[in-house]
Amino acid sequence: MWGQYNVGLLIVMISGVIGFVALAIETDDLHRLLLLDLVEITTLGVIALLGTDLAEALVLPGLTVGIAELLALSQIYITKERLKERPVKGLNIEVIQMADAPMIISVFLVVYGLLLSGFTGGGVAGLGLVFYFMSRGYKENLNMLEMASGISWAIWIFAFFVFMFLPQYWFIALMGAAVGIVLKVTVKMSLVGTMWGDHRD
Amino acid sequence: MIRRISHFLCNYENIVPLFAGACAIIFLAGILMLPLSYQQNQLYPKTIDRNSTLDPYDRGGPPFTQVTIHAQYPENSPTAGLVTSYLTPFSFYLAQTTQHLGTTIVAHPGGIIDEILYNTRGLDTVVEPTILLIAFAIASFLYRKVG
Amino acid sequence: MITVTSIGGIPYYILEFGDELVYFTPYTITLFLLALTFTVLVIISRPEKQVDIAFGGDAYRAKDISISEMRFRRFMAIACGLASMGAMVTGDIFNFTLFTAMVGITNVGIVAAVKSPHVQDAAYQYGLVALAATVPLFAGAAVYAAATGSLSMIELMNGTLPTVPLIAKAMLVIGVIGEGMAPFYAAKAEMFRAPGAPYVIMCSLSSLLIFLRVVEVVMLG
Repeated sequence: MWGQYNVGLLIVMISGVIGFVALAIETDDLHRLLLLDLVEITTLGVIALLGTDLAEALVLPGLTVGIAELLALSQIYITKERLKERPVKGLNIEVIQMADAPMIISVFLVVYGLLLSGFTGGGVAGLGLVFYFMSRGYKENLNMLEMASGISWAIWIFAFFVFMFLPQYWFIALMGAAVGIVLKVTVKMSLVGTMWGDHRD
Repeated sequence: MIRRISHFLCNYENIVPLFAGACAIIFLAGILMLPLSYQQNQLYPKTIDRNSTLDPYDRGGPPFTQVTIHAQYPENSPTAGLVTSYLTPFSFYLAQTTQHLGTTIVAHPGGIIDEILYNTRGLDTVVEPTILLIAFAIASFLYRKVG
Repeated sequence: MITVTSIGGIPYYILEFGDELVYFTPYTITLFLLALTFTVLVIISRPEKQVDIAFGGDAYRAKDISISEMRFRRFMAIACGLASMGAMVTGDIFNFTLFTAMVGITNVGIVAAVKSPHVQDAAYQYGLVALAATVPLFAGAAVYAAATGSLSMIELMNGTLPTVPLIAKAMLVIGVIGEGMAPFYAAKAEMFRAPGAPYVIMCSLSSLLIFLRVVEVVMLG
Protein backbone atom coordinates (compact mmCIF):
# COMPACT_ATOMS: atom_id res chain seq x y z
CA MET A 1 0.00 0.00 0.00
CA TRP A 2 2.85 2.40 0.84
CA GLY A 3 4.29 2.89 -2.62
CA GLN A 4 6.77 5.53 -3.65
CA TYR A 5 3.90 7.96 -4.13
CA ASN A 6 2.85 7.84 -0.50
CA VAL A 7 6.37 8.03 0.90
CA GLY A 8 6.96 11.13 -1.20
CA LEU A 9 3.61 12.55 -0.16
CA LEU A 10 4.49 11.98 3.51
CA ILE A 11 7.73 13.95 3.20
CA VAL A 12 6.11 16.78 1.26
CA MET A 13 3.20 17.00 3.71
CA ILE A 14 5.57 17.14 6.69
CA SER A 15 7.51 19.97 5.08
CA GLY A 16 4.18 21.67 4.35
CA VAL A 17 3.17 21.43 8.00
CA ILE A 18 6.53 22.86 9.10
CA GLY A 19 6.20 25.72 6.62
CA PHE A 20 2.67 26.60 7.65
CA VAL A 21 3.44 26.44 11.38
CA ALA A 22 6.38 28.76 10.81
CA LEU A 23 4.09 31.09 8.88
CA ALA A 24 1.54 31.02 11.69
CA ILE A 25 3.99 32.07 14.39
CA GLU A 26 5.97 34.58 12.33
CA THR A 27 4.96 38.20 12.93
CA ASP A 28 7.31 40.17 10.68
CA ASP A 29 5.67 41.01 7.34
CA LEU A 30 8.74 40.56 5.20
CA HIS A 31 9.59 37.23 6.79
CA ARG A 32 6.05 36.07 6.14
CA LEU A 33 6.52 36.78 2.44
CA LEU A 34 9.78 34.82 2.36
CA LEU A 35 8.25 31.90 4.25
CA LEU A 36 5.35 31.85 1.80
CA ASP A 37 7.80 31.47 -1.04
CA LEU A 38 9.17 28.46 0.81
CA VAL A 39 5.73 26.93 1.36
CA GLU A 40 5.00 27.30 -2.36
CA ILE A 41 7.60 24.60 -2.99
CA THR A 42 5.28 22.15 -1.22
CA THR A 43 2.71 22.65 -3.97
CA LEU A 44 5.19 21.91 -6.68
CA GLY A 45 6.23 18.80 -4.75
CA VAL A 46 2.69 17.45 -4.54
CA ILE A 47 2.10 18.11 -8.25
CA ALA A 48 5.43 16.58 -9.29
CA LEU A 49 4.64 13.40 -7.32
CA LEU A 50 2.09 12.56 -10.01
CA GLY A 51 5.09 11.45 -12.01
CA THR A 52 3.50 11.79 -15.45
CA ASP A 53 4.03 14.22 -18.30
CA LEU A 54 0.84 15.87 -17.12
CA ALA A 55 2.56 16.70 -13.81
CA GLU A 56 5.36 18.40 -15.67
CA ALA A 57 2.86 20.47 -17.57
CA LEU A 58 0.94 21.38 -14.39
CA VAL A 59 4.07 22.48 -12.51
CA LEU A 60 4.57 25.38 -14.94
CA PRO A 61 1.25 27.15 -14.29
CA GLY A 62 1.64 26.47 -10.56
CA LEU A 63 5.09 28.02 -10.55
CA THR A 64 4.03 31.01 -12.63
CA VAL A 65 1.05 31.81 -10.42
CA GLY A 66 3.30 31.74 -7.35
CA ILE A 67 5.88 34.02 -8.95
CA ALA A 68 3.23 36.42 -10.25
CA GLU A 69 1.58 36.81 -6.86
CA LEU A 70 4.97 37.21 -5.20
CA LEU A 71 5.79 40.03 -7.63
CA ALA A 72 2.56 41.88 -6.86
CA LEU A 73 2.91 41.35 -3.12
CA SER A 74 6.48 42.57 -2.91
CA GLN A 75 5.47 45.76 -4.72
CA ILE A 76 2.59 46.23 -2.26
CA TYR A 77 5.07 45.70 0.55
CA ILE A 78 7.43 48.35 -0.83
CA THR A 79 4.54 50.77 -1.20
CA LYS A 80 3.14 50.16 2.23
CA GLU A 81 6.49 50.40 3.99
CA ARG A 82 7.45 53.49 1.92
CA LEU A 83 10.82 52.05 0.99
CA LYS A 84 11.16 54.57 -1.84
CA GLU A 85 13.47 56.85 0.10
CA ARG A 86 16.35 54.47 -0.44
CA PRO A 87 16.76 54.15 -4.21
CA VAL A 88 19.08 51.60 -5.71
CA LYS A 89 21.10 52.93 -8.62
CA GLY A 90 22.01 49.92 -10.71
CA LEU A 91 25.12 47.91 -10.07
CA ASN A 92 27.83 50.34 -8.98
CA ILE A 93 30.72 48.34 -10.31
CA GLU A 94 33.06 50.34 -12.49
CA VAL A 95 34.03 47.51 -14.80
CA ILE A 96 30.43 46.60 -15.53
CA GLN A 97 29.35 50.18 -16.17
CA MET A 98 32.17 51.14 -18.45
CA ALA A 99 33.19 48.11 -20.45
CA ASP A 100 31.42 46.36 -23.30
CA ALA A 101 31.08 43.13 -21.32
CA PRO A 102 27.43 43.57 -20.22
CA MET A 103 26.47 44.33 -23.80
CA ILE A 104 28.15 41.19 -25.12
CA ILE A 105 26.78 38.95 -22.37
CA SER A 106 23.27 40.37 -22.82
CA VAL A 107 23.31 39.92 -26.58
CA PHE A 108 24.50 36.35 -26.14
CA LEU A 109 21.77 35.58 -23.62
CA VAL A 110 19.04 37.18 -25.73
CA VAL A 111 20.07 35.32 -28.88
CA TYR A 112 20.32 32.03 -27.02
CA GLY A 113 16.94 32.65 -25.40
CA LEU A 114 15.29 33.36 -28.75
CA LEU A 115 16.75 30.11 -30.09
CA LEU A 116 15.32 28.17 -27.16
CA SER A 117 11.88 29.87 -27.34
CA GLY A 118 9.03 28.99 -25.03
CA PHE A 119 9.09 29.64 -21.28
CA THR A 120 12.74 28.77 -20.75
CA GLY A 121 13.86 30.87 -23.67
CA GLY A 122 11.85 33.81 -22.38
CA GLY A 123 13.53 33.43 -19.02
CA VAL A 124 17.02 33.36 -20.50
CA ALA A 125 16.43 36.29 -22.87
CA GLY A 126 14.75 38.26 -20.08
CA LEU A 127 17.71 37.65 -17.82
CA GLY A 128 20.00 39.10 -20.48
CA LEU A 129 17.90 42.27 -20.72
CA VAL A 130 17.63 42.55 -16.92
CA PHE A 131 21.39 42.36 -16.66
CA TYR A 132 21.82 45.03 -19.33
CA PHE A 133 19.34 47.45 -17.76
CA MET A 134 20.79 46.88 -14.32
CA SER A 135 24.32 47.67 -15.39
CA ARG A 136 23.41 50.68 -17.51
CA GLY A 137 20.66 52.38 -15.55
CA TYR A 138 17.75 52.42 -17.98
CA LYS A 139 15.95 55.74 -18.39
CA GLU A 140 13.53 55.46 -21.26
CA ASN A 141 9.80 55.16 -21.11
CA LEU A 142 8.31 51.73 -20.77
CA ASN A 143 5.45 52.18 -23.22
CA MET A 144 7.06 50.21 -26.00
CA LEU A 145 7.88 47.27 -23.78
CA GLU A 146 4.34 47.22 -22.43
CA MET A 147 2.93 47.30 -25.93
CA ALA A 148 5.13 44.33 -26.85
CA SER A 149 3.75 42.52 -23.82
CA GLY A 150 0.18 43.16 -24.94
CA ILE A 151 0.90 42.06 -28.50
CA SER A 152 2.52 38.82 -27.32
CA TRP A 153 -0.51 38.07 -25.16
CA ALA A 154 -2.76 38.58 -28.18
CA ILE A 155 -0.53 36.28 -30.30
CA TRP A 156 -0.84 33.57 -27.68
CA ILE A 157 -4.63 33.87 -27.46
CA PHE A 158 -4.82 33.72 -31.27
CA ALA A 159 -2.68 30.56 -31.23
CA PHE A 160 -5.00 29.03 -28.64
CA PHE A 161 -8.05 29.56 -30.83
CA VAL A 162 -6.30 28.13 -33.86
CA PHE A 163 -5.47 25.02 -31.82
CA MET A 164 -9.05 24.67 -30.65
CA PHE A 165 -11.05 25.47 -33.76
CA LEU A 166 -8.71 25.02 -36.73
CA PRO A 167 -6.59 22.08 -35.60
CA GLN A 168 -5.34 21.39 -39.13
CA TYR A 169 -3.21 24.55 -38.91
CA TRP A 170 -1.46 23.28 -35.77
CA PHE A 171 1.97 24.32 -37.03
CA ILE A 172 1.08 28.02 -37.22
CA ALA A 173 -0.44 27.77 -33.77
CA LEU A 174 2.66 26.11 -32.34
CA MET A 175 4.93 28.80 -33.74
CA GLY A 176 2.54 31.55 -32.63
CA ALA A 177 2.42 30.18 -29.11
CA ALA A 178 6.19 29.77 -28.90
CA VAL A 179 6.86 33.31 -30.17
CA GLY A 180 4.10 34.81 -28.03
CA ILE A 181 5.35 33.21 -24.85
CA VAL A 182 9.01 34.00 -25.48
CA LEU A 183 8.08 37.66 -26.02
CA LYS A 184 5.81 37.76 -23.00
CA VAL A 185 8.27 36.30 -20.52
CA THR A 186 11.16 38.39 -21.89
CA VAL A 187 9.21 41.62 -21.64
CA LYS A 188 7.93 40.87 -18.15
CA MET A 189 11.39 40.06 -16.86
CA SER A 190 13.03 43.08 -18.46
CA LEU A 191 10.34 45.33 -17.01
CA VAL A 192 11.16 43.93 -13.59
CA GLY A 193 14.78 44.81 -14.30
CA THR A 194 13.88 48.42 -14.96
CA MET A 195 11.62 48.71 -11.96
CA TRP A 196 14.22 49.76 -9.47
CA GLY A 197 16.14 52.92 -8.95
CA ASP A 198 14.84 56.47 -8.64
CA HIS A 199 13.83 56.96 -12.25
CA ARG A 200 10.18 56.83 -13.22
CA ASP A 201 7.85 58.58 -15.61
CA MET B 1 -17.66 34.54 23.18
CA ILE B 2 -18.86 35.13 19.63
CA ARG B 3 -18.14 38.78 20.14
CA ARG B 4 -14.58 37.97 21.08
CA ILE B 5 -14.11 35.73 18.05
CA SER B 6 -15.52 38.37 15.73
CA HIS B 7 -13.32 40.97 17.38
CA PHE B 8 -10.32 38.72 16.75
CA LEU B 9 -11.27 38.34 13.09
CA CYS B 10 -11.77 42.08 12.74
CA ASN B 11 -8.08 42.67 13.16
CA TYR B 12 -6.61 41.86 9.78
CA GLU B 13 -3.21 41.27 11.36
CA ASN B 14 -4.60 37.99 12.64
CA ILE B 15 -5.88 36.42 9.46
CA VAL B 16 -2.53 35.21 8.15
CA PRO B 17 -1.67 33.19 11.31
CA LEU B 18 -5.25 31.93 11.40
CA PHE B 19 -5.21 30.76 7.79
CA ALA B 20 -1.71 29.30 8.06
CA GLY B 21 -2.78 27.42 11.19
CA ALA B 22 -5.82 26.03 9.39
CA CYS B 23 -3.64 24.89 6.48
CA ALA B 24 -1.19 23.26 8.89
CA ILE B 25 -4.07 21.35 10.48
CA ILE B 26 -5.34 20.21 7.07
CA PHE B 27 -1.88 19.02 6.05
CA LEU B 28 -1.51 17.25 9.40
CA ALA B 29 -4.84 15.54 8.80
CA GLY B 30 -3.51 14.62 5.36
CA ILE B 31 -0.54 12.89 6.96
CA LEU B 32 -2.86 10.91 9.22
CA MET B 33 -4.97 9.89 6.21
CA LEU B 34 -1.99 8.41 4.34
CA PRO B 35 -1.61 6.18 2.45
CA LEU B 36 -3.76 7.49 -0.38
CA SER B 37 -4.62 5.36 -3.35
CA TYR B 38 -2.73 5.99 -6.57
CA GLN B 39 -4.59 5.27 -9.79
CA GLN B 40 -2.29 3.35 -12.13
CA ASN B 41 -4.18 4.35 -15.26
CA GLN B 42 -2.91 7.95 -15.49
CA LEU B 43 -3.24 10.45 -18.32
CA TYR B 44 -0.09 11.28 -20.29
CA PRO B 45 2.07 8.55 -18.72
CA LYS B 46 5.78 9.17 -18.80
CA THR B 47 8.07 6.78 -20.64
CA ILE B 48 11.83 7.16 -20.68
CA ASP B 49 14.05 5.65 -23.35
CA ARG B 50 17.62 5.96 -22.09
CA ASN B 51 19.19 5.20 -25.46
CA SER B 52 17.39 7.92 -27.35
CA THR B 53 19.31 11.09 -28.24
CA LEU B 54 16.29 12.98 -27.03
CA ASP B 55 16.45 11.40 -23.58
CA PRO B 56 14.71 12.21 -21.25
CA TYR B 57 12.23 13.93 -23.55
CA ASP B 58 11.91 11.36 -26.28
CA ARG B 59 8.71 12.12 -28.11
CA GLY B 60 8.22 8.60 -29.33
CA GLY B 61 8.40 9.02 -33.08
CA PRO B 62 10.18 10.64 -36.00
CA PRO B 63 9.30 14.27 -36.73
CA PHE B 64 6.08 15.04 -38.62
CA THR B 65 4.41 11.78 -37.67
CA GLN B 66 1.45 11.63 -35.36
CA VAL B 67 2.20 9.98 -32.02
CA THR B 68 -0.54 8.44 -29.93
CA ILE B 69 -1.11 10.33 -26.73
CA HIS B 70 -3.16 9.18 -23.80
CA ALA B 71 -5.33 12.30 -23.53
CA GLN B 72 -8.62 12.59 -21.69
CA TYR B 73 -10.72 13.26 -24.79
CA PRO B 74 -8.63 12.34 -27.86
CA GLU B 75 -11.60 13.04 -30.14
CA ASN B 76 -11.48 16.72 -29.15
CA SER B 77 -7.93 17.24 -30.35
CA PRO B 78 -7.61 15.50 -33.70
CA THR B 79 -4.09 16.77 -34.32
CA ALA B 80 -2.71 15.88 -30.88
CA GLY B 81 0.56 14.04 -31.40
CA LEU B 82 1.89 16.18 -34.22
CA VAL B 83 3.24 18.86 -31.92
CA THR B 84 4.71 16.16 -29.70
CA SER B 85 6.93 14.77 -32.44
CA TYR B 86 7.84 18.09 -34.03
CA LEU B 87 11.49 19.19 -33.99
CA THR B 88 12.79 22.54 -35.22
CA PRO B 89 15.49 22.22 -37.89
CA PHE B 90 18.08 23.38 -35.34
CA SER B 91 17.10 20.84 -32.70
CA PHE B 92 16.79 18.15 -35.37
CA TYR B 93 20.41 18.82 -36.27
CA LEU B 94 21.45 18.75 -32.60
CA ALA B 95 19.58 15.52 -31.96
CA GLN B 96 21.33 13.80 -34.86
CA THR B 97 24.82 14.98 -34.03
CA THR B 98 24.99 14.96 -30.22
CA GLN B 99 23.71 13.09 -27.20
CA HIS B 100 23.04 16.27 -25.29
CA LEU B 101 19.84 17.59 -26.79
CA GLY B 102 17.80 16.04 -24.00
CA THR B 103 18.76 18.75 -21.57
CA THR B 104 17.47 21.57 -23.76
CA ILE B 105 14.75 19.90 -25.78
CA VAL B 106 12.00 20.87 -23.40
CA ALA B 107 12.55 24.49 -24.38
CA HIS B 108 12.22 24.09 -28.15
CA PRO B 109 8.90 24.43 -29.91
CA GLY B 110 7.38 20.98 -30.05
CA GLY B 111 7.39 18.18 -27.51
CA ILE B 112 4.93 16.62 -25.14
CA ILE B 113 4.97 19.57 -22.73
CA ASP B 114 4.07 21.99 -25.52
CA GLU B 115 1.40 19.56 -26.66
CA ILE B 116 -0.23 19.57 -23.25
CA LEU B 117 0.30 23.26 -22.49
CA TYR B 118 -0.73 24.66 -25.86
CA ASN B 119 -3.08 22.11 -27.31
CA THR B 120 -4.94 19.67 -25.12
CA ARG B 121 -4.90 21.77 -21.95
CA GLY B 122 -4.61 25.15 -23.65
CA LEU B 123 -7.21 26.77 -21.44
CA ASP B 124 -4.89 26.47 -18.43
CA THR B 125 -2.22 28.39 -20.27
CA VAL B 126 -4.73 31.08 -21.22
CA VAL B 127 -5.55 31.69 -17.56
CA GLU B 128 -1.95 31.55 -16.43
CA PRO B 129 -0.50 34.43 -18.57
CA THR B 130 -3.59 36.39 -17.58
CA ILE B 131 -2.71 35.95 -13.89
CA LEU B 132 0.82 37.09 -14.72
CA LEU B 133 -0.61 40.10 -16.55
CA ILE B 134 -2.86 41.02 -13.60
CA ALA B 135 -0.02 40.67 -11.08
CA PHE B 136 2.20 42.76 -13.26
CA ALA B 137 -0.47 45.40 -13.73
CA ILE B 138 -0.81 45.70 -9.94
CA ALA B 139 2.94 45.99 -9.45
CA SER B 140 3.50 48.57 -12.20
CA PHE B 141 0.47 50.61 -11.14
CA LEU B 142 1.75 50.85 -7.57
CA TYR B 143 5.27 51.54 -8.80
CA ARG B 144 4.17 54.52 -10.85
CA LYS B 145 1.64 55.86 -8.39
CA VAL B 146 4.12 56.28 -5.57
CA GLY B 147 6.27 58.47 -7.78
CA MET C 1 -21.56 10.72 -26.31
CA ILE C 2 -21.03 11.85 -22.78
CA THR C 3 -23.94 11.15 -20.45
CA VAL C 4 -24.17 12.63 -17.02
CA THR C 5 -26.33 12.69 -13.95
CA SER C 6 -25.12 15.19 -11.45
CA ILE C 7 -26.17 17.28 -8.51
CA GLY C 8 -25.97 20.39 -10.65
CA GLY C 9 -28.42 19.02 -13.21
CA ILE C 10 -27.89 17.70 -16.71
CA PRO C 11 -25.62 19.92 -18.84
CA TYR C 12 -27.48 21.81 -21.56
CA TYR C 13 -24.37 22.41 -23.51
CA ILE C 14 -20.76 21.24 -23.36
CA LEU C 15 -18.11 23.39 -24.99
CA GLU C 16 -14.94 21.47 -25.78
CA PHE C 17 -11.45 22.91 -25.47
CA GLY C 18 -9.33 19.83 -25.98
CA ASP C 19 -9.10 18.04 -22.65
CA GLU C 20 -10.90 20.77 -20.83
CA LEU C 21 -14.64 20.93 -21.14
CA VAL C 22 -16.75 23.92 -20.27
CA TYR C 23 -20.23 22.86 -19.31
CA PHE C 24 -23.49 24.63 -18.54
CA THR C 25 -25.81 22.91 -16.11
CA PRO C 26 -28.82 24.68 -14.55
CA TYR C 27 -26.63 25.33 -11.49
CA THR C 28 -23.53 26.63 -13.23
CA ILE C 29 -25.50 28.68 -15.75
CA THR C 30 -27.27 30.51 -12.94
CA LEU C 31 -23.99 31.40 -11.29
CA PHE C 32 -22.51 32.33 -14.67
CA LEU C 33 -25.34 34.72 -15.45
CA LEU C 34 -25.00 36.30 -12.02
CA ALA C 35 -21.29 36.93 -12.59
CA LEU C 36 -22.04 38.24 -16.10
CA THR C 37 -24.68 40.66 -14.82
CA PHE C 38 -22.36 42.12 -12.22
CA THR C 39 -19.51 42.45 -14.70
CA VAL C 40 -21.77 44.40 -17.04
CA LEU C 41 -22.89 46.54 -14.09
CA VAL C 42 -19.27 47.30 -13.25
CA ILE C 43 -18.56 48.28 -16.84
CA ILE C 44 -21.48 50.69 -17.18
CA SER C 45 -21.83 52.13 -13.67
CA ARG C 46 -20.14 55.27 -12.44
CA PRO C 47 -18.04 55.02 -9.30
CA GLU C 48 -19.51 56.46 -6.13
CA LYS C 49 -17.96 59.44 -4.44
CA GLN C 50 -17.42 59.23 -0.72
CA VAL C 51 -18.30 62.29 1.31
CA ASP C 52 -16.82 63.07 4.70
CA ILE C 53 -19.15 64.95 6.98
CA ALA C 54 -17.76 66.82 9.94
CA PHE C 55 -19.91 66.28 13.00
CA GLY C 56 -21.30 69.26 14.80
CA GLY C 57 -21.37 71.46 11.73
CA ASP C 58 -22.52 71.71 8.17
CA ALA C 59 -19.03 71.15 6.71
CA TYR C 60 -18.50 68.26 4.32
CA ARG C 61 -15.98 67.45 1.63
CA ALA C 62 -15.87 64.87 -1.14
CA LYS C 63 -12.86 62.58 -1.22
CA ASP C 64 -10.72 63.04 -4.27
CA ILE C 65 -10.08 59.96 -6.34
CA SER C 66 -7.76 60.16 -9.29
CA ILE C 67 -8.99 59.01 -12.68
CA SER C 68 -6.09 56.59 -13.14
CA GLU C 69 -6.93 54.87 -9.88
CA MET C 70 -10.58 54.50 -10.86
CA ARG C 71 -9.63 53.17 -14.27
CA PHE C 72 -7.26 50.65 -12.76
CA ARG C 73 -9.80 49.44 -10.25
CA ARG C 74 -12.42 49.11 -12.96
CA PHE C 75 -9.99 47.04 -15.03
CA MET C 76 -9.35 44.80 -12.00
CA ALA C 77 -13.08 44.47 -11.31
CA ILE C 78 -13.77 43.46 -14.92
CA ALA C 79 -10.93 40.94 -14.82
CA CYS C 80 -12.35 39.64 -11.56
CA GLY C 81 -15.77 39.26 -13.19
CA LEU C 82 -14.28 37.36 -16.14
CA ALA C 83 -12.33 35.11 -13.78
CA SER C 84 -15.46 34.32 -11.77
CA MET C 85 -17.38 33.58 -14.97
CA GLY C 86 -14.63 31.17 -15.99
CA ALA C 87 -14.58 29.52 -12.58
CA MET C 88 -18.35 29.04 -12.73
CA VAL C 89 -18.49 27.06 -15.95
CA THR C 90 -15.15 25.28 -16.22
CA GLY C 91 -15.26 21.50 -16.19
CA ASP C 92 -11.72 20.79 -15.11
CA ILE C 93 -10.39 20.69 -11.56
CA PHE C 94 -7.02 22.29 -12.29
CA ASN C 95 -8.55 24.93 -14.51
CA PHE C 96 -10.98 25.74 -11.71
CA THR C 97 -8.12 26.25 -9.26
CA LEU C 98 -6.37 28.56 -11.72
CA PHE C 99 -9.49 30.69 -12.19
CA THR C 100 -9.89 30.78 -8.41
CA ALA C 101 -6.30 31.98 -8.00
CA MET C 102 -7.05 34.68 -10.55
CA VAL C 103 -10.12 35.80 -8.57
CA GLY C 104 -7.87 36.02 -5.51
CA ILE C 105 -5.22 38.20 -7.13
CA THR C 106 -7.74 40.53 -8.78
CA ASN C 107 -9.42 41.00 -5.39
CA VAL C 108 -6.08 42.00 -3.93
CA GLY C 109 -5.58 44.36 -6.87
CA ILE C 110 -8.94 46.07 -6.36
CA VAL C 111 -8.04 46.81 -2.74
CA ALA C 112 -4.34 47.57 -3.22
CA ALA C 113 -5.02 50.42 -5.66
CA VAL C 114 -6.30 52.62 -2.82
CA LYS C 115 -3.75 55.10 -1.56
CA SER C 116 -4.46 55.05 2.16
CA PRO C 117 -1.70 53.24 4.10
CA HIS C 118 -4.28 51.50 6.26
CA VAL C 119 -5.94 49.93 3.22
CA GLN C 120 -2.54 49.03 1.76
CA ASP C 121 -1.71 47.17 4.92
CA ALA C 122 -4.98 45.23 4.74
CA ALA C 123 -4.34 44.48 1.06
CA TYR C 124 -0.95 43.08 1.91
CA GLN C 125 -2.39 40.74 4.53
CA TYR C 126 -5.09 39.54 2.10
CA GLY C 127 -2.44 39.06 -0.51
CA LEU C 128 -0.48 36.84 1.84
CA VAL C 129 -3.58 34.75 2.50
CA ALA C 130 -4.34 34.52 -1.24
CA LEU C 131 -0.80 33.38 -1.95
CA ALA C 132 -0.88 30.85 0.88
CA ALA C 133 -4.20 29.54 -0.42
CA THR C 134 -2.69 28.53 -3.76
CA VAL C 135 -0.73 25.85 -1.88
CA PRO C 136 -3.69 23.70 -0.75
CA LEU C 137 -5.57 24.58 -3.98
CA PHE C 138 -3.02 23.16 -6.40
CA ALA C 139 -2.05 20.37 -4.01
CA GLY C 140 -5.70 19.35 -3.79
CA ALA C 141 -6.02 19.30 -7.58
CA ALA C 142 -2.86 17.17 -7.83
CA VAL C 143 -4.22 14.65 -5.32
CA TYR C 144 -7.46 14.54 -7.34
CA ALA C 145 -5.44 13.61 -10.43
CA ALA C 146 -3.34 11.03 -8.57
CA ALA C 147 -6.30 9.28 -6.97
CA THR C 148 -8.65 9.22 -9.94
CA GLY C 149 -6.32 9.49 -12.91
CA SER C 150 -8.43 12.29 -14.33
CA LEU C 151 -9.05 15.98 -13.83
CA SER C 152 -12.31 16.21 -15.75
CA MET C 153 -15.42 16.93 -13.71
CA ILE C 154 -17.58 15.20 -16.31
CA GLU C 155 -15.67 11.96 -15.70
CA LEU C 156 -16.07 12.44 -11.95
CA MET C 157 -19.83 12.82 -12.40
CA ASN C 158 -20.09 9.54 -14.25
CA GLY C 159 -19.05 7.71 -11.11
CA THR C 160 -16.83 5.21 -12.89
CA LEU C 161 -13.66 6.57 -11.31
CA PRO C 162 -12.31 5.64 -7.87
CA THR C 163 -13.57 7.79 -5.02
CA VAL C 164 -11.73 11.00 -4.32
CA PRO C 165 -9.90 11.05 -0.98
CA LEU C 166 -11.49 13.31 1.61
CA ILE C 167 -8.22 15.17 2.09
CA ALA C 168 -8.19 16.36 -1.53
CA LYS C 169 -11.65 17.84 -1.08
CA ALA C 170 -10.65 19.46 2.20
CA MET C 171 -7.61 21.04 0.55
CA LEU C 172 -9.69 22.34 -2.33
CA VAL C 173 -12.22 23.89 0.05
CA ILE C 174 -9.67 25.56 2.31
CA GLY C 175 -7.89 26.88 -0.76
CA VAL C 176 -11.08 28.46 -2.06
CA ILE C 177 -11.78 29.91 1.39
CA GLY C 178 -8.36 31.52 1.37
CA GLU C 179 -8.72 32.90 -2.15
CA GLY C 180 -12.22 34.18 -1.58
CA MET C 181 -11.60 35.17 2.02
CA ALA C 182 -15.20 34.11 2.51
CA PRO C 183 -15.29 33.71 6.30
CA PHE C 184 -13.45 36.96 6.85
CA TYR C 185 -16.36 39.24 6.15
CA ALA C 186 -15.84 40.83 9.52
CA ALA C 187 -12.34 41.78 8.52
CA LYS C 188 -13.55 42.80 5.10
CA ALA C 189 -15.17 45.83 6.69
CA GLU C 190 -11.70 47.33 6.35
CA MET C 191 -12.03 47.01 2.61
CA PHE C 192 -15.41 48.62 2.42
CA ARG C 193 -13.93 51.75 3.89
CA ALA C 194 -12.07 52.04 0.61
CA PRO C 195 -13.98 54.28 -1.78
CA GLY C 196 -15.46 53.08 -5.06
CA ALA C 197 -18.65 51.15 -4.50
CA PRO C 198 -19.19 48.94 -7.55
CA TYR C 199 -15.67 47.58 -7.38
CA VAL C 200 -15.51 46.42 -3.80
CA ILE C 201 -18.85 44.70 -4.26
CA MET C 202 -17.17 42.65 -6.98
CA CYS C 203 -14.75 41.31 -4.32
CA SER C 204 -17.55 39.99 -2.18
CA LEU C 205 -19.61 38.67 -5.04
CA SER C 206 -16.75 36.79 -6.66
CA SER C 207 -15.76 35.12 -3.39
CA LEU C 208 -19.36 34.12 -2.78
CA LEU C 209 -19.61 32.67 -6.30
CA ILE C 210 -16.43 30.61 -6.13
CA PHE C 211 -17.55 29.29 -2.76
CA LEU C 212 -20.90 28.22 -4.22
CA ARG C 213 -19.12 26.51 -7.09
CA VAL C 214 -16.64 24.61 -4.92
CA VAL C 215 -19.56 23.09 -3.03
CA GLU C 216 -20.72 21.55 -6.30
CA VAL C 217 -17.19 20.46 -7.22
CA VAL C 218 -16.50 18.59 -3.99
CA MET C 219 -19.83 16.77 -4.20
CA LEU C 220 -19.05 15.35 -7.63
CA GLY C 221 -16.54 12.60 -7.02
